[in-house]
Amino acid sequence: MDTSLMSSPGVMMLFGLSPILALGLGGLLLMLAEAFGRPVVAHALEAQAIGAQPAGPEGQIVDAGAGRAAELALGAAVILFAGAIFSVALWLVGPENVTATERVAPYLLIDRFSVFFSFVVCLGGGIAALLAGGYLPEHRIERGEFFPLLVFCTLGAQALAAAGDLLSLFVALETMSLGVYCLVGLRRTSVRASEAALKYFLLGSFAAALMLFGAALLYGATGRTDLAGIGEAIAGLSGDGLEGRAAQILIALALLIVGLAFKVGAVPFHMWTPDAYEGAPTPTTGFMAVAVKTAAVAVLLRVLLVVFADERLGSWGTGWPPVLATIAVLSMFIANFIAGRQESVKRMLAYSSIAHAGYVFIGVVATSRSVDAQASVLFYLLTYTVSTLGAFGALILAGRYRAEAVSYEDLAGFGRRHPAAALAFSFFLISLAGVPPTAGFFGKLYVFKAAIQGELYWLVVLGLINSVIGAYYYLKVLVFMYMREPKPGAPFATPMRSGYVATALVIAACFVLGLGILPDTALEAAVAAVLGG
Amino acid sequence: MSPAARAFFEAAPYVAAFVIGALIPRRSSVLERLAVGIVGALSVLALKGLWPDAAAPVTEKADEWPHLLNVVVFMPFVGAIALLFLPRQSPKFLQRFTLTVLGLNFFVSLFLLGATMTRGWHFQYITEWIPSLGIRYHVAIDGVSLWMVLLTTFTTPIAAYVAFGSVRKRIKDLCFAFLLLHGAMLGAFVALDLFLFFVFWELMLIPMLLMIGVWGGLERIKAAYKFFLYTMIGSMMMLAAILYVVWTHYELAGYLTFDYLALSKVTLPRTAAWLCYAGFSLAFLIKVPVFPFHTWLPDAHVQAPTGGSIILAAVLLKLGTYGYIRFCMGMFAGPAAHAATTLAGLVIAMGIFYGALVAWKQDDVKRLVAYSSVAHMGFVMLGVFAATQSGVEGALLQMINHGVSSGALFLLVGVIYDRRHTRMVREFGGLAKVMPVYAAVFILITMSSIGVPGTNGFVGEFMVIMGTFASNHLGAFSHLHGGLAAAGVILAAVYMLSVVQKMFFGPLTNEKNANLSDMNVRESVAMAPLIALVFLIGFFPSLFLNRMSDSVTATLDRYIEGRIAWSQGAGAEGASLRERRGGPLETGYPLPPSSTRAVAAMDGKEAH
Repeated sequence: MDTSLMSSPGVMMLFGLSPILALGLGGLLLMLAEAFGRPVVAHALEAQAIGAQPAGPEGQIVDAGAGRAAELALGAAVILFAGAIFSVALWLVGPENVTATERVAPYLLIDRFSVFFSFVVCLGGGIAALLAGGYLPEHRIERGEFFPLLVFCTLGAQALAAAGDLLSLFVALETMSLGVYCLVGLRRTSVRASEAALKYFLLGSFAAALMLFGAALLYGATGRTDLAGIGEAIAGLSGDGLEGRAAQILIALALLIVGLAFKVGAVPFHMWTPDAYEGAPTPTTGFMAVAVKTAAVAVLLRVLLVVFADERLGSWGTGWPPVLATIAVLSMFIANFIAGRQESVKRMLAYSSIAHAGYVFIGVVATSRSVDAQASVLFYLLTYTVSTLGAFGALILAGRYRAEAVSYEDLAGFGRRHPAAALAFSFFLISLAGVPPTAGFFGKLYVFKAAIQGELYWLVVLGLINSVIGAYYYLKVLVFMYMREPKPGAPFATPMRSGYVATALVIAACFVLGLGILPDTALEAAVAAVLGG
Repeated sequence: MSPAARAFFEAAPYVAAFVIGALIPRRSSVLERLAVGIVGALSVLALKGLWPDAAAPVTEKADEWPHLLNVVVFMPFVGAIALLFLPRQSPKFLQRFTLTVLGLNFFVSLFLLGATMTRGWHFQYITEWIPSLGIRYHVAIDGVSLWMVLLTTFTTPIAAYVAFGSVRKRIKDLCFAFLLLHGAMLGAFVALDLFLFFVFWELMLIPMLLMIGVWGGLERIKAAYKFFLYTMIGSMMMLAAILYVVWTHYELAGYLTFDYLALSKVTLPRTAAWLCYAGFSLAFLIKVPVFPFHTWLPDAHVQAPTGGSIILAAVLLKLGTYGYIRFCMGMFAGPAAHAATTLAGLVIAMGIFYGALVAWKQDDVKRLVAYSSVAHMGFVMLGVFAATQSGVEGALLQMINHGVSSGALFLLVGVIYDRRHTRMVREFGGLAKVMPVYAAVFILITMSSIGVPGTNGFVGEFMVIMGTFASNHLGAFSHLHGGLAAAGVILAAVYMLSVVQKMFFGPLTNEKNANLSDMNVRESVAMAPLIALVFLIGFFPSLFLNRMSDSVTATLDRYIEGRIAWSQGAGAEGASLRERRGGPLETGYPLPPSSTRAVAAMDGKEAH
């Protein structure tokens, strides 16, 4: 690169913010394209013609975006993957060399940590966009606004991971959440989708209010809004100053943990998850399960390790580790046991994502004792992103219009009739179950290794026991696909044909296999991305 | 190795990738095939480029080609991947392809016999895999694993051949499962890096699960779950133990490694040593299986198709005993030695005796053979616990014997099941009149299973009992243990001979049996090598024992050393690292990473 260009602060500023800017500008362009583009008439007519037939529970919607979901999906995917590629470029140059971005600090902190997360959420968003490109036309919900919203949600998730100030944190959180509320309720004629969206919206607003209250308390106790400043102020408290503020700070800590645990979907703040996940269109479900969760964990890490890094708060006697450990254990056990009892695969995957939040929290707890733990959380989130999106993608692939594959029964005999699709599905499930040589296994191994390093042996043993329980219900899908036949006369799943979904699955599969067999590069990246590393 | 041959093997992966790539597209032009082929070759190049730089190469031994094990282990995997692109519509072709790969694999593995099995590792191959966690691709064999590898490559083609005779549906999936399972088993036997071992160990689960669940009997799904979850619980506890040992080694030595050679140098604190030993043993004893973890085995055996049962009995169970010898005795000698007396009592009472008595009461022949496995594996474990030269050698020989004889028994049960679709003893009687060859072969294998002199079973059991009798590891009980084990042999005769009597002799009462055809060509061909091996081992056991004795001595030396150290209080004052001795047993010892790359990764300044 030209040195004079490199030294220009304006250019460097643009470069430093390029992942975020790419998404912001791209999202705006996509919105224009969606608003001013012409609907494809033939498709619209066809959709109407089908709409004249007896309507299914979903109903049909013909709007400005009709017939163009595929193009918009391509656009959104290009934007999101561009965001991911910009993140990689920024990573290779090194965010610490791009000093110009200090001007947006502490509202946005462009460090390796946030760049890593930017890559993960852009990757997740991009794959979700591709999935939507196949899913929405197939299920006649071609709402063009899906794609700009998806891009803006990802932008919110990126900004959330980069937020270094309570104000920007909250704004980013709401940017992400508001979009997701809409994405959940996309199928507006479906009662179930409306219920899901409303439930998610109400509970989500409540959680956001709790977080806001926590933030206000922190501001009251320290007089600062930037996370690092609050951290210093808390560390400086002692004697009388501490006496009056200890309760305030502890309540703020509790409120922030509750709010973020809600976004992560950890037990006991998970009540909305199964309903919202089941009611939402499957690409949205996948997006929620990975990007929203990932960003929430990122901000949780930043809050815990920057704001509440004080050793009085990070200790096992008086701080957050025992709270998070309890959440982790509850999440794993409750979610795994309930997931095993589900009859719907989509709902099972929803519970499985709660259980995975539990594994992630083991890593988060271990950050109080070992440096490696942060890297393990980061790596785990990357592996979890690709495996989960792959699983949801395979579920999408297994369904057709009005015959969405939902229950285990739908998948009976799938392996015999559609070996390739079934193989893909099994592959992602095996990764989620944590069986080598897949990414999921390596992610789990790394988290457990970090926890052993932090001498949290009992958490590791509980986590491993849960892996076995978890294997049961992932296995159940394999059992239905390969070992059972559909009951006579029962409907069975026929895979849809879509290049978008196939591409998304291939991308996810490459990552799952690559991270499982040659994880070294990603591991080094995760190690380099830790906060304060 | 001549330069030409070397160049050939260098180029082979690219050529293979090109050919596979060119075969993938259906109904396409030559140009397209060419393009995809080039993409295939390029992706091999990319993979090679991405692969972390090789660590210090091992000095090459003159008569050992270092890539031989790689070829043996990865041939089935490459075959499995190639198989995915072959047409499902031509099952005959798929079967021939699978048998060719498996047969070729057996042929290649015979070259392993060419090396003189001295103390230490042979055909060792090491390369970096995941340097930032200290994980290496480290494979090697010694006299112990040599026979396990050969047993695997010998049995799987027979099992596949038999399976192709009786299975009619979903041949492609079956071939895929066989190749994947075969590769994973071989990998687990030769891996000396605990991470690598664990990867192969877990990789075996899925194909075996499919084999039981897809082609099994009526209760197949329950059996498949049971098999998977039992094994998974064990392996998860083993994973926890592995991570703990790795971490302890890191704290003592300052660098991460998963290598067996390094980790076996760690002396853990007492409680931790017991717990880690328990984690490892649980995984292996479930696999063997030892009472009370054996309940998955009868279900899995009864439900699995004949081919699956043969592999399960002949190879998969051996992974448990092999793992115990290699890892439990190699890494946790102290706890292993202290638990040996109790465990030996357990395998005698609940394996040899209880297993035999339960087998005696079975109506289903396949279930009977399954329980007889519990009894036979009891003998193997007894020899291992006795930890004398003849005990362990006998145990290893008995592992091969059990592979041969119970594999053959399952095959024979499959023969009758294919004809009558029942395995109940009471359905038969007087079969010797209609199926003379079958009866003769069955009786012969029964003799081998009971351990009649002249057959393989005799040598193994005799050595195990002798080793137990003379063992000073079992303390005051060794004579009692030896005596009881000898008495247990009688029980084997009771249940096997009673089933032979009921099935083959007496009047031919059931009319359905009157017109059964004798063994066909396929079944006879599959049986022939097994029968040959029965007598080969029976008359010339030294062919086998010679190659294993040095390695057994080496294993026992270290075991005894560890036991003495433990009784002198090793580990009572926290963890420590034993000194390195050098010598053949420690070639390929992982060294602390000194390259800049590793340092950069540690302090996080340089991303990549």
